[in-house]
Amino acid sequence: MIVATDIIMPQLGESIAEGTVVKWLIPLGGAIEKDQSLLEVETEKVDLEVPSPASGVLNEILVKEGETVAVGTLLARIDSAPPAEVISRVGGVVVRPVDSDAAGEEHHSPAVRQLAKEHGVDLAHLKGTGAGGRVSKKDVLEFVARTSAPGPTTAASGEPSMGEEILPLTQMRKTIADRMVKSRQTSAHVSTFFEADFSSIASFRTGRDLTYLPFVVRAVTRALRDVPLVNATWGDQGIVIKKDTHVGIATALEEGLLVPVVRHADRKGLTQLAKEIADLAERARSKKLSPDEVQGGTFTITNHGGFGSLFSTPIIHQPQIAILGVGAVQKRAVVINEAIAIRPMGYLSLSFDHRVIDGATADQFMAKVKHYLEGGHWEQIL
Amino acid sequence: MTTATSHATGEVTYLEAISQALDEEMMRDERVFLMGEDIGQYGGAFRITEGFLDKYGEWRILDTPLAESGFVGAAIGAAMMGLRPVVEMQFADFISCAFDQITEVAAKNHYRWGAAVPMVIRAPFGGGIHGGPFHSECPEGWFFHSPGLKLVAPSTPYDAKGLLKAAIRDPNPVIYFEHKFLYRRIKATLPTDDYIVPIGKADVKRPGNDISVITYGAMVHLALEAAQMLAKEGIDLEVVDLRTLAPLDKEAIFSSVHKTSKAIVLHEDNKTGGIGAEIAALLAEECFDSLDGPIVRIAAPDTPVPFSTPLEEFFLPKTSDIVAAARKLAAY
Amino acid sequence: MDLADVTSQIKRADLLHMYYYLRLTRALEDRITALYRQGRIVGGCYTSHGMEAIAVGYASALERDDVIAPFHRDMGAFLMRGITPGEVLAQYLGKRTGPTKGKDGNVHMGDLKRGIIGFVSHLADNLPVATGAALAFKMRGESRIVVAGTGDGGTSRGDFHEAMNFAAVRKLPVVFFCTNNQYAYSTPLRLQMAITDVVERAKAYGMPGEIVDGNDVAAVYLAAKRGIAKARAGEGPTFFEFKTMRMHGHSEHDPAKYVPPELLEAWKKRDPILAAERLLVEAGYGDETYFHEILERVKKEVEAALEFAEKSPLPEGPEVLEGVFATDADLSHQATHSRSAA
Repeated sequence: MIVATDIIMPQLGESIAEGTVVKWLIPLGGAIEKDQSLLEVETEKVDLEVPSPASGVLNEILVKEGETVAVGTLLARIDSAPPAEVISRVGGVVVRPVDSDAAGEEHHSPAVRQLAKEHGVDLAHLKGTGAGGRVSKKDVLEFVARTSAPGPTTAASGEPSMGEEILPLTQMRKTIADRMVKSRQTSAHVSTFFEADFSSIASFRTGRDLTYLPFVVRAVTRALRDVPLVNATWGDQGIVIKKDTHVGIATALEEGLLVPVVRHADRKGLTQLAKEIADLAERARSKKLSPDEVQGGTFTITNHGGFGSLFSTPIIHQPQIAILGVGAVQKRAVVINEAIAIRPMGYLSLSFDHRVIDGATADQFMAKVKHYLEGGHWEQIL
Repeated sequence: MTTATSHATGEVTYLEAISQALDEEMMRDERVFLMGEDIGQYGGAFRITEGFLDKYGEWRILDTPLAESGFVGAAIGAAMMGLRPVVEMQFADFISCAFDQITEVAAKNHYRWGAAVPMVIRAPFGGGIHGGPFHSECPEGWFFHSPGLKLVAPSTPYDAKGLLKAAIRDPNPVIYFEHKFLYRRIKATLPTDDYIVPIGKADVKRPGNDISVITYGAMVHLALEAAQMLAKEGIDLEVVDLRTLAPLDKEAIFSSVHKTSKAIVLHEDNKTGGIGAEIAALLAEECFDSLDGPIVRIAAPDTPVPFSTPLEEFFLPKTSDIVAAARKLAAY
Repeated sequence: MDLADVTSQIKRADLLHMYYYLRLTRALEDRITALYRQGRIVGGCYTSHGMEAIAVGYASALERDDVIAPFHRDMGAFLMRGITPGEVLAQYLGKRTGPTKGKDGNVHMGDLKRGIIGFVSHLADNLPVATGAALAFKMRGESRIVVAGTGDGGTSRGDFHEAMNFAAVRKLPVVFFCTNNQYAYSTPLRLQMAITDVVERAKAYGMPGEIVDGNDVAAVYLAAKRGIAKARAGEGPTFFEFKTMRMHGHSEHDPAKYVPPELLEAWKKRDPILAAERLLVEAGYGDETYFHEILERVKKEVEAALEFAEKSPLPEGPEVLEGVFATDADLSHQATHSRSAA
């Protein structure tokens, strides 16, 4: 006869009313001996391992890791092992639960690996709906169906037919593709759009060899100083606010794009910024950038207005949490002091990661950017 | 109700289909003759050869002494001399008495000295009839392991008739496992024209996309029942009826599992070392890249077949086993 | 046997024919023994040394279309049915030119074309098979018969009893024999059975039985002829116990120290070839010169056979996979050679 044993959240101290399941030490379906450590529990006061009251098989886990429940809550059930003489008729399906935060490689079934290979899917950012959180064949096929563009078959198919031309994928294209998709799957992208009046910049530029970009960089660095949460990344232990400000400038190349980084952009004047930006851009195009120069950014700016684009929804450059797009600056009729005026206006498009910051914070930041862009006093930071 | 001498064009039972096959082959080929205990005067323990003695005489329907080794050996000798004997084991369980002749003489003859043995042994196998340990056995596993033997196990009247004819016409020793539980429980309308079911070819009894259930004999019907139930839950089983156990239709097995990526191997025979173990190994060797879940086997536990009803019910695989395993595997 | 009985019932030519085969069997098996001791033969090596009259005797009584289901001490029968010494040695050497193409060894030969049912190591398994062949002949109304036998040990097995019983019940055209050479490997008769004469089993199954001096080729021949005639006449099976002595070990590796030397000494004097020579001299059918000639002839034949066998190729590894199953073509080819009812 099989006996079931309930595992409940223990009272680990007189005044303790609840506990958190930190880690299950035995996987679902695993065997356990009496007195063997079954799980780790944390309370306000203490962190300890709970020994199993019985031998058997951990057949049911009702409270997941990370969950906090009241003392006495049913956490799991252990079934005593059936007597040795009774041999099961039905072969087992042993499930090893997948640890979603695992640093190492997740185990994928052969079918899943094969399909992923065929369709060029990066399994690392696929969410699994299979047992224990594993990625199943169905998950991969559904993902492929969702993300594949309609039209001709993938590169896995043979010769191009009439009316088609195949461009072999370069390493850069593969990397960009991978990064873009990955980023979208990592961050919770939200967009907010502001409009800034570039008059003060425009008049300051007259007679000077400066593009809008250095001004934008400066406005951004000052805004980041005001709203430091935007200069951060998402980490295991929590949100990491970066102390330094390194601004990446998205640079279009013939075959793709690179994002060289202006280090400590907050410490540099307009002239220096302009010089650096120009230099980085030139070396980016002639492929003379060093690896350091395209890493370590904490915020990115993308100047997409070159061909007339007004707004954009750029993709965050991981592991940053926001990216600012600057659209074309055009003369528009605007209302100032109850009268119509003609001003050079430009839209600022911020994509931000809603995991880290909310709309209010993002808008706060953008308001600051706008403020600094319109504020003038450029001669002080030339 | 002699089915022996009539060619029923209505529905026939699995048992009648076997009877028809014997009758038709005996009429078609004068070299075919039958040997077994109680098949003549009595018409056979299951009445399969009722009426045959009158029709064919005592030199084509031989009531043998109680000596399986002796008359299987005799069948081997007669087969080598140009006849086509069909030997009936009254119950498959008694085939062990003739194990030596089957595995050492019949199976190895052609390999060793080029002498073909075109003999068929009919073996009524399987449980569910309160037969106990010696009237319910599934002995196919022992012979599966003997090179030189062909083994077949039909699950429907159509397959029963076609496979028996094919077995009789095969130049090799064939053991024909007929499931006694199915004898009178299933019926079908059969073609009136002569037809065979080729040995070595499985049959997809129910196509599906989610899980392949590879099985044979009476278990095919349980699998189909389970499939019906699971369809309502959105789990789509593909039921592959092996029909021939040796040689296995590997192509059919592999193509099914390549499609579904999940497999349940189901048989009534004991689990350890049953044919299911070989199929599971083959899948692991040749379909590894297509597998999206572990290969699951459902079979009887490793015990002799018990007699008492609750024991036998526990022993035999059931539809609920298949449903439970399929749900678990589908969710994996 | 009485000389007059012999000469009145057996033609001179037939006796000389039998003598030739006694000599050939002996020479061939002596050669096999020598090869074994030289390490040129691998595996088991079982001879009928000192027992040759049984196989030669009964095989001489067969018609062309009759079938035998022999066991491992019947080399003389294989030769008389047409297996050549060259094929025998090729078989022993595991060559592709032997009757089993290397698939089986020593005396495990068979060929339906020459009416020989190949046997397995499991003694007495051949007997039910023999009854089946006889059953086929009876069913088809053919006048062919089967001669099948085993040793004293073989008669302990169930298949011996099941075959005897079935043959008698159905009155099948089969002649059973037991080569009682008094030892089954190291097991003497007294540990093999509670009776002294195996022939007593015949009665138990309802068939006539006879004891015959297995070392008297004429006696064996005439006995076999009687049994065969009965079978051919539709009177059912007969059982013969051929009494003899196993002069070598169970196989050539066995020194057979368990056999009392006096027993061997006594039986040496009854050697079947010596007995045959005495008979031929008495009948005036042969003399020393003649015997010497025959000896030379068989010697040459065996040497030529060895040359053939040694020159023959061994099978190649992948051939292991061939022949597990028969094709329809194999079977149809076979049927014509087992000659169905005219």
